[in-house]
Amino acid sequence: MATKKKSNAKTKATAKSSIKKAVKGMKKVAKSTAKKVEKGVKKVAKKATKAVKETTKALKSSGEIVLLLKQGVGKPSVPCVKKGDKVQVGTLIAKPQGLGANLHSSVDGVVSQVTDTAIYIKAGKVPIDISKSKFKRITADKKDLLACVAEAGVVGMGGAGFPTAAKLNLDLHGGHVLVNAAECEPVLAHNMAQLVQFPNETIKGIQYIMKITNAKQGIIAIKQKHTHEIESILKALKGIDNIRVHLLPDIYPMGEERAVIRETLGILLPVTALPSEANAVVINVETVLRVYEAIEFGRPAVSKNLTVSGKIKGINNGVKVFYDVPIGLKVKDAIEAAGGIDGKYGEIIMGGPFMGKPCKLDDPITKTTGGIIVTEPFKDYKGAKVGLLVCACGANEDRLKDIASKYNMKVVDVEYCKQAKDPKGNGVYKCENPGNCPGQALKCMNIKKAGATEILISNCSDCTNTVMGSAPGLGLNVHHATDHIFETVGMPVQRHLTKSKFIEGPIPEGCTASRNPESNEPGGIHPVQVHHEDSAKGTSSNVDYSKPYEFRENTPDGELLISIESGSDISIKYE
Amino acid sequence: MSISAEYAKEHINDPAVLCCRREAGTTLSHHDFEDPAIFDDLVSSGLLKLDGALKIGEAMGATLTKTLDSLNAITKDCVDKVQDMNAGSGEAAAVSAPAESHVATGATTSVAGGKLKIHIGEGKGIDLEIPMGLGGGVAASTGSAVAATGAAGATATAGAASGEEKVVRTLTRKHYNITEVKRGDKTKIEGTTLYIRKGIEKEAVETQELVHALKLDIITKDKYHTYSDTIMDTQPIATKEGDSELGSGVTRVLDNVVMLLTGTTDEGVQIGEFGSSEGYLDENIMWNRPSCPDYGDILIRGEVKIENKKNMERPGPLAAHKAFDVITQEIRMAMKELDDSLVVNTETFEQVRRPGKKKVALVKEIMGQGAMHDNLILPVEPVGVLGAHPNVDLCNVPVVCSPLEVLDGCIHALTCIGPASKEQSRHYWREPMVLEMLHDKEVDFAGVIFVGSPQINSEKFYVSRRVGMTCEAMDVEGAIVTTEGFGNNHVDFTSHIEQIGMRGIKVVGMSFCAKQGALVTGNKYITAMVDNNKSEAGIENEILGNNTLCPEDAVRAIMMLKAEMAGEAIKKPEKEWNPNVKSQNVELISSVTGKPVELVKNETSLPMSEKYKKKYANAK
Repeated sequence: MATKKKSNAKTKATAKSSIKKAVKGMKKVAKSTAKKVEKGVKKVAKKATKAVKETTKALKSSGEIVLLLKQGVGKPSVPCVKKGDKVQVGTLIAKPQGLGANLHSSVDGVVSQVTDTAIYIKAGKVPIDISKSKFKRITADKKDLLACVAEAGVVGMGGAGFPTAAKLNLDLHGGHVLVNAAECEPVLAHNMAQLVQFPNETIKGIQYIMKITNAKQGIIAIKQKHTHEIESILKALKGIDNIRVHLLPDIYPMGEERAVIRETLGILLPVTALPSEANAVVINVETVLRVYEAIEFGRPAVSKNLTVSGKIKGINNGVKVFYDVPIGLKVKDAIEAAGGIDGKYGEIIMGGPFMGKPCKLDDPITKTTGGIIVTEPFKDYKGAKVGLLVCACGANEDRLKDIASKYNMKVVDVEYCKQAKDPKGNGVYKCENPGNCPGQALKCMNIKKAGATEILISNCSDCTNTVMGSAPGLGLNVHHATDHIFETVGMPVQRHLTKSKFIEGPIPEGCTASRNPESNEPGGIHPVQVHHEDSAKGTSSNVDYSKPYEFRENTPDGELLISIESGSDISIKYE
Repeated sequence: MSISAEYAKEHINDPAVLCCRREAGTTLSHHDFEDPAIFDDLVSSGLLKLDGALKIGEAMGATLTKTLDSLNAITKDCVDKVQDMNAGSGEAAAVSAPAESHVATGATTSVAGGKLKIHIGEGKGIDLEIPMGLGGGVAASTGSAVAATGAAGATATAGAASGEEKVVRTLTRKHYNITEVKRGDKTKIEGTTLYIRKGIEKEAVETQELVHALKLDIITKDKYHTYSDTIMDTQPIATKEGDSELGSGVTRVLDNVVMLLTGTTDEGVQIGEFGSSEGYLDENIMWNRPSCPDYGDILIRGEVKIENKKNMERPGPLAAHKAFDVITQEIRMAMKELDDSLVVNTETFEQVRRPGKKKVALVKEIMGQGAMHDNLILPVEPVGVLGAHPNVDLCNVPVVCSPLEVLDGCIHALTCIGPASKEQSRHYWREPMVLEMLHDKEVDFAGVIFVGSPQINSEKFYVSRRVGMTCEAMDVEGAIVTTEGFGNNHVDFTSHIEQIGMRGIKVVGMSFCAKQGALVTGNKYITAMVDNNKSEAGIENEILGNNTLCPEDAVRAIMMLKAEMAGEAIKKPEKEWNPNVKSQNVELISSVTGKPVELVKNETSLPMSEKYKKKYANAK
């Protein structure tokens, strides 16, 4: 892709040429990307390259694209096209009502059907990579950054799908833009690939976002193990001093929004708080790129980067990364492009192993689709009694019940992790302190008492480790919601934790890292390991959570006792 | 699971065990410790070994020197230091406030014009302990509060110094011996024979619309193997003498005879809810319980029939009681004519206040869910009806009575819960807990608080908060809370304990629990409990009065309360009901006091009924 300078210089001619270059560059990257992916994935390196080559060809897709009116958080968008209308890539086809995002066609074709939930477009052959396709530019003035993001219909591409323009419409008063490049879901690889392929573009995107939100600093949070990607970013960051890289440990779920804030800023927000309460926004790294494209080229958000993996012909435990897959393409099209399903399979997951949901072959890819994983058939446990341990960081209760039924297990008990809180009471759980276990022995005992022989969990790395400390000893066979996926791709299943939660030893200059609170090593951010005792109680915008402290007062024997565990800027008045 | 800071403080003497994997270099806090409450289970399932474990208080604040996984006990060799619990943590450490605050980084303290302002730029582990008297510089409002406390303390001290006992009131019981009960033309007492007017039943029935029949039987010891409907109440026959008010003055009572109310609906449905005691009397009454007839008593049994379907509504059982009381009332009137020459025995109860001694109260939870779960409070005559108010109508709020009012029959019990644990009217007349507290010279017995047990949870908490406030206002140091039944009423029973406990008042609970009646709710103040169970299998065995509060329970409760008030810890209960706990406690008390505690008999001393055999087969 074009470098920063070039794209600045050639504003008009650009789009086309830069995309051309992008495609060129992409081929290179795919190669290097794949190289550094984990062992099992390494094999795929060449194939991934090949895949990208192949997929620049037109796809024999089903010929129909399905664009869901609801692509993320908010109400479904309202169609502004009708049956028979001709559209091209970038044609606005639906507008939001209230909180939501614009929806644009991702292909050239004719609207074949408009329903309450989707717009269908007949398109004939569709390329799986539309980065070089011509598109209809958005109309907003390039100088009005936020308007560009809004018109382009960008939403959070990490999975939540929150309308990006709404997220960025705030003043951080010199706060932080936190770029979530944790790519915490195992197997997924497209975010890391992007950092090698488009480091400059990504950084440019961060700068735009910092400008929009009036932030003083940008922080790219990435796992330490991705040395190659870190190298790529650091190279691109030369001469830029208000963006730094923060190194995360290789623990799930470091990519959880509040975990990113905790690791990079040392502030643990209660489950009810928004990142703005820590003067920060957290934004996924691919979203950053889409913001860049919207502003720089006037390109609407019509495509998505994808990782396809699992039981795919010729993939050999690896992954295939696709760039700029048109949204609305069907799951089966992406699987076909990757090689097709290899024999019998269990289920197809849309998303990552932890948070992904089962989907059907005909389901369309959306702006939030990150992974497509085909799994091995499920083992049959012949009605074995299972207790579920639900965690906010992984599969929810419904998904665990779904997996249990696929394993042919009978659910006899459902327990929730102590830290899983449902602040809004709408069934959406958040973890009070993601990745830091509160203990699970009691839950395991309850499950045992309910008569279970199996325990199926959706916990993070740390909590899973704790479960391993008691469940097997109680005679419970441990199953993790991700087991069938990890087994399919040849990765070891989630069980004991052997890695540290903290970064030790030297780190590259200019980087910070999540350090042990007791560590004096340089570059340390000390993630707060203590959560607010009152975090479950509602939030108040007046509360300054950036200065957490506990406060207690006693009057035993006529004395006033004030005990402060830790804190800063403490004022005590006695008047 | 990890525990709260407060909880950790309460458990500083329990073993420190990691709840989760913790890496070397972690400074241990309450977030890292597993809840000691589940250690028994963990140890018994082989998941946890506590050998060499430091106490939570010793491990708190230490730094781990190696990475350990969950459920590892923290031992000396895996931490950098062991905290000295005597000098190290908490209040004891911070001796001088000003000095301490200067140690903290960048702290400034200034005391000027009654204002204390401390600002700490940044800090950790800060403990400030400031004497309230602080150079006389505390603000006026706080100052007066301190003064008030001081004054109260002074009064108490003065009282203690004088230590004068004060007799608040007395109650004298005159006993009249009855050896025979006959029917006659007039209700009267001649010598030791009680005559009950023939035909009185009809008049009694006519007073109550819902009562359709009442049959009187005189059952003497030789006829105890008589079939009976469920026993609704056992009542003493007593009346006030002259102008004496209930709870003081003179009460006349007939010995060796009791009123026994039984009942069904017209179609024969027993008036009982959770189990009934119908069957042969000799197989279903636990004789000599405070609540029950004594073996040998003449039973004046009223067999009442009430309107169908009214057995589960308040007016039905109440009507049965009212009709029966028409008969008792006529006997009471006859008693008023008795000559003192017939008095065989006189006993006097003194309500003594002992200023300076630990002030204690007895909270008695009585049923108030409605239907037959009601109690008439403070009738004019002992266990009468006239003048009393049903506690359901009083909305179950606490009513404070003097111990002598209790012993004088201020509760007419309509209660019809499980027969084995229900406290009938006669129970209050000889309530062992009241007698124990009344006679204990080491405590200052302030009074008895009756509180109803409402049906709805929100109301349960409404009344339990009132109980807490009442105890607070009475300024007691200790309280014993009793209840009857189990299950539903345990919700408010435990809430009473919480409301009392949270006010810093020591509290002991008494209930039938054992196997079948384990508490359904709990809180951290339920640390001292006395189980009223007497049954072999630990169940509600439907033997009348079997599991009610007896002297052997009262003595344990008062000892437990005294121990608590003296700052001694009560041992934790075992995981499952173990009757040995009681026998050990009883033995301990006997050896300390030098007075053997005699245990009452249980159902095994009775001939075994068919129903009872089945019940035991099921229990096993």
